[in-house]
Amino acid sequence: MKRLAVVAVLLALTSATACGGGGGSAADREGLYTTIDALKPGLDANAPINPYNPKGNAFLGYNAQWLGWTKNDLTDSDQFYPGVAESWKIAPHQSSITINLRPNGKWSDGAPITAEDVKFSIGLAYTQGGTAYALDPSAAGTASDIKIVNEHTIKITQSAKNPSNSFVQGVMQTFIVPEHVWAGALPADFWAKLKLAQSTAPGADAARAEITSLADKVIAFAPPKDVSAGPFTLARMNPGEALLVKNKNFYNAANVAPDKVKILNYTGNEQIWNYLISGQLDNAPFTALPADVMERIVQTSGNGVVQGYSPVGNALAFNQSKKPYDNVHVRRALAYLIDRKQVTKVASPEGGVAALTTSGMHQKAAEAWLGARFAALNPYRVDPAQAAKELEAAGMRKIDGKWTMPDGTPWKLTINVPASFSDWVAGAKAVTSQLNDAGIDAQVVTTADYPLYLQEIAAGKYDIGFWLVALGPSPYNIFQRLYGASNGWQLFGGRLKHVAPGKEGNWMGGPETIEVKGVGKVDPGELAVKLNSAPEAEQKKIIGILAEAANQDLPVIQMWDYVNTQFVNTTRFTGFPPNNSDTLRLTSGVWIQLGLIKRKQA
Amino acid sequence: MTAIGARRLPGVNNVVRRLAGHLVRGFVMILVVTTISFVIIRHIPGDPLLARYESLVEKGMSPEQAQRATAALYGFLPRGTLWEQYLDYMRGLFHLNLGQSLSTPGVQVTTLLGSAVAWTIVPVLVGTLLSFMVGITVGVYAAMKRSGKLGDVLALSGSLLHGLPQYVLALLIAAIFTTLLPIFPSGGTADILFEPGFNAGYIGSLIQHAALPIVTYALASYGGWILAMKSSVVTVLGDDFILAAELRGLKRGIIFRYVARNAILPLFTILALSLGMLFGGAIFIERIFNYPGLGLLLINSITSRDYALMGGAFLLITVAIVVANIVADMLYTAIDPRVRSGGGTAS
Repeated sequence: MKRLAVVAVLLALTSATACGGGGGSAADREGLYTTIDALKPGLDANAPINPYNPKGNAFLGYNAQWLGWTKNDLTDSDQFYPGVAESWKIAPHQSSITINLRPNGKWSDGAPITAEDVKFSIGLAYTQGGTAYALDPSAAGTASDIKIVNEHTIKITQSAKNPSNSFVQGVMQTFIVPEHVWAGALPADFWAKLKLAQSTAPGADAARAEITSLADKVIAFAPPKDVSAGPFTLARMNPGEALLVKNKNFYNAANVAPDKVKILNYTGNEQIWNYLISGQLDNAPFTALPADVMERIVQTSGNGVVQGYSPVGNALAFNQSKKPYDNVHVRRALAYLIDRKQVTKVASPEGGVAALTTSGMHQKAAEAWLGARFAALNPYRVDPAQAAKELEAAGMRKIDGKWTMPDGTPWKLTINVPASFSDWVAGAKAVTSQLNDAGIDAQVVTTADYPLYLQEIAAGKYDIGFWLVALGPSPYNIFQRLYGASNGWQLFGGRLKHVAPGKEGNWMGGPETIEVKGVGKVDPGELAVKLNSAPEAEQKKIIGILAEAANQDLPVIQMWDYVNTQFVNTTRFTGFPPNNSDTLRLTSGVWIQLGLIKRKQA
Repeated sequence: MTAIGARRLPGVNNVVRRLAGHLVRGFVMILVVTTISFVIIRHIPGDPLLARYESLVEKGMSPEQAQRATAALYGFLPRGTLWEQYLDYMRGLFHLNLGQSLSTPGVQVTTLLGSAVAWTIVPVLVGTLLSFMVGITVGVYAAMKRSGKLGDVLALSGSLLHGLPQYVLALLIAAIFTTLLPIFPSGGTADILFEPGFNAGYIGSLIQHAALPIVTYALASYGGWILAMKSSVVTVLGDDFILAAELRGLKRGIIFRYVARNAILPLFTILALSLGMLFGGAIFIERIFNYPGLGLLLINSITSRDYALMGGAFLLITVAIVVANIVADMLYTAIDPRVRSGGGTAS
């Protein structure tokens, strides 16, 4: 018994030692920046240090670098802060981009960063097919030629067959990795195979298949150690945390304030709340949270909030294959009944602002693109009388205070939401509560999780569901959410086709053409695709028509626009971006490497 | 020696025969459960790559770019008909190859399971043994003092803790010690600033991070041990042989040994079974404390529809339970002479 007591005391003392330090000695914590990586929920110490691996321990802006960092602009997605690229020159119509590297740029192991590294990294990107590197020659916005101009300059040319306005962004978002570490990931004859794959010569299909088959190998590639072009390198990991240390060879190392970065693991929002309440995090991106938790977070010493533009909106989306939602008057009636301010207040009081109207876009982007035309859109202010008129126009009947279908059968309005999204669940409940008050029998049904929700909504199982819209900044991407594959328009090899509702992922089931006031009959899917390559003046015109179409036809009712809300703690570091900064959508690793973050002086 | 050896041989043979029977039955059971779980897992609705596609679009990729990037992961999905997938899976299983993870592509499922298991075994084992030792001691005391107030209080504490769901207890403890009084970390296994190794800082940090999960495991099962032990002791106290021992005037210490030895027998079986359950029983606690063991791995694998990882986790849990059942049975045979002799009466 005495022995047991001694052991217990020793354990308690050891534990107290650890508690007292709060994790490491004071010297260890000096210059330590603590954060979470929103792109990597659920750290995995077994994952390779590989930016192409979804769980890879390559943290964007810290030890994983793009050529450049996209600024958070309302309309222009081709503005960047320097990353591995020191400067760049974009040719007219994005026909090519010439990248200049820093002449003295070095990897963390001291090797020079060269144009060969960039070319090799582009080769890796071809195996993955994302961004600007598609093997299909008819794909939009793909690179057709990569030419090393000199040791520190490389020119990437866009295929003229199907140019895209997102080409430059795709190039700048290329992960750059050291060829001398990754050499084994690509075969020696890769570039010859790529040339063949991009042609129509015999053997092109086989070459494409061969390059595509490299995808697994590249994703699984595990470099023996972290060699980084970023401000940090990965020192070690455990299942709950990652430790990165300063890369002394980083070009801007003198202005990188933290010596170390600790990235904490999280698997749920409540863990981030706990970290924030206990003041552990120097920065955390926004996460949905109730008002009382927000109150506690901002009460913690040093904690503060920075807000800015986030090109994401939340909407109620209709399956127009289902009655009565095929009738525009019903959709308009619902828009007149829902008090979006009230819904937003309940669902996302801290991270959203009620949508002024439905345009398919975030209201800030809509104002920037449309100017005065935005104000001319129907705002669908709460108007029960107008809603009743619309329902009557749709043939709906009100019997004993309840709206019914035109044939008098009951109308049960069901909104589906994934159970794990607390803001969506709260929003849907607020909407159904308002609709029930207006005599519409409405209910919320939750789906177990997001993968199941996405599968079921795509299969057309829901009448109405919450759906993210306005995913910008590219106008093409924004309107793909309303007039893309989920609404029947599919792009194959540069050719657009419209599939019937209920087929091949067309769950929104809207009409192929819409009569737009003052414009006439338009094919919104066709217009949306044109946004990919149209010059800015034409883009503006198209956006005006599509916003008007969305406003009249209401394939969705926009509920709230998200606000990019970041948490910062100024106890240890200062210099965080101010409200509405164009760096707010970038990771704090980028803020650090740009030299914005400073150590707090005692 | 020869005479003793001759006497022991049939007993040893019995044990070996019994063990062999258990192993064969256990093997069949594992095969059946693995097959059933394989089929169920493959039929879980939800497309793992659709969620990946959606997250890339949300980050600003065009639908076409996101489709291509998502397609790069197809190689990590099981291919062929369900039957072909099953044959592939079983073939791999016999070579101890559970396939590659989809959520951490390129990493073997066995590697992921191996990393997670240690973080489950140690806290659950410590918590379970701690609660067992404290629970049975308090249980005996509560039985002996069952007509007194202290006995009532102890039994009540057992009932309350036994009735409290594990996740409620975990949430309460987490809220108190990581948020209201943030003296314990709210996740992880050790502070990364400590160099891993045999040093006070690192070991202290390991203990500090494991403390709340261990306490929760211990408290969650403590009530059950008290109640089971109390009930068992009360039953034994009423047995004739205890009355006989008292009438023969045996010392209280000897009588206590009689009582304890007989009362604890059924609890050993429960202990062995609960140790088997420890692989799968940690889901809520690990999720709430963000403690990266097998339970958290299983939840994450379900969320990401990582079929191979789910299958591996279920297999490990099944094997653990089957082995625990065999151990419990063999243990019972060893410690209870009535079972060993095949008779139903005490000798």
